[in-house]
Amino acid sequence: MNETFVTNWKSQVKKGTLTFIILNVLKNNEYYGYELIEQIRNHTEIEIAEGTLYPLMNRLKTEDLVISKWVEQETGIPRKYYSLTPAGIATLSQMNVYWENLEKSIKKIIK
Amino acid sequence: MKIEAIQFEQKASQRIYNDYMKRIKKATNSLSKDNQDDIYMEFNSHIFEAIQYKNNTNEIDSLLDIIEKLGAPEEVLKPLVADKKLEQATRTFNPVHVFRALILNFTNGISYVIFFILYLFLFGFVFLIFAKIFNPEHVGLFIKEHSASIFVLGMMSPEDKLHSNAVEILGNWFIPVMILSTFLFYFLITLLLKFKKSINQK
Repeated sequence: MNETFVTNWKSQVKKGTLTFIILNVLKNNEYYGYELIEQIRNHTEIEIAEGTLYPLMNRLKTEDLVISKWVEQETGIPRKYYSLTPAGIATLSQMNVYWENLEKSIKKIIK
Repeated sequence: MKIEAIQFEQKASQRIYNDYMKRIKKATNSLSKDNQDDIYMEFNSHIFEAIQYKNNTNEIDSLLDIIEKLGAPEEVLKPLVADKKLEQATRTFNPVHVFRALILNFTNGISYVIFFILYLFLFGFVFLIFAKIFNPEHVGLFIKEHSASIFVLGMMSPEDKLHSNAVEILGNWFIPVMILSTFLFYFLITLLLKFKKSINQK
């Protein structure tokens, strides 16, 4: 077995699906950065390079899929909460349909 | 919003934290104050929340672990700074921001190099304005006599002019026209850059 190949492939899959995962995590809830990373870790066991989340969130914001707001905290350190925009919700539902179809096809192939 | 620093119990942790936050400031100092503060506060919040989450482990160990996972500010913030700088440049049309945004985006595609070259052409226009001041007789927009086609925009020696029947047509209008063209082309190229940026995001 070519382990390097599999490792590379896995990291490409993770990279390619990260946006999709983030949007799905934000589907029902708003989260701040660190919490979002924890959610991704809990749901998918994907360890993301934490610092790279923020550039990605900024891209999602400029594409109008996500909005953010600063919320003051009693601790004195405010949190920046992210949530989906209406365009984000619509985009995600299209992505989910595509994913389900893809999943069906892949399941057929690997049977 | 006021930026509050995280307080640590151990002196060494405080120093590591202060140093990391200083690096974030340095890595983002080409951005607007609002963008700088936003990034700073978000990383500050990340470190703070992560420490709360790991409150069982030794303070300095948790901090080092968190910082390691976040990555070096100079590396991690590179794409964020490049994106935000380009946003700022195409919003403000400020040449300094445009120049810095292009430098930051140089590795993000050949198109940014092409844009850089287009902007460099504008320097040619500026150069001609000065050349006209120092050498008014031989610099200008030349056409062939009795024909409407543009022949040379730039400098022609007296022999060349005579040889090819060229006449200068703008006269004293050359400098105002060149200034106007410089602004017009600058505006158009920057608009194109803005347009390109929004295509990228689609």
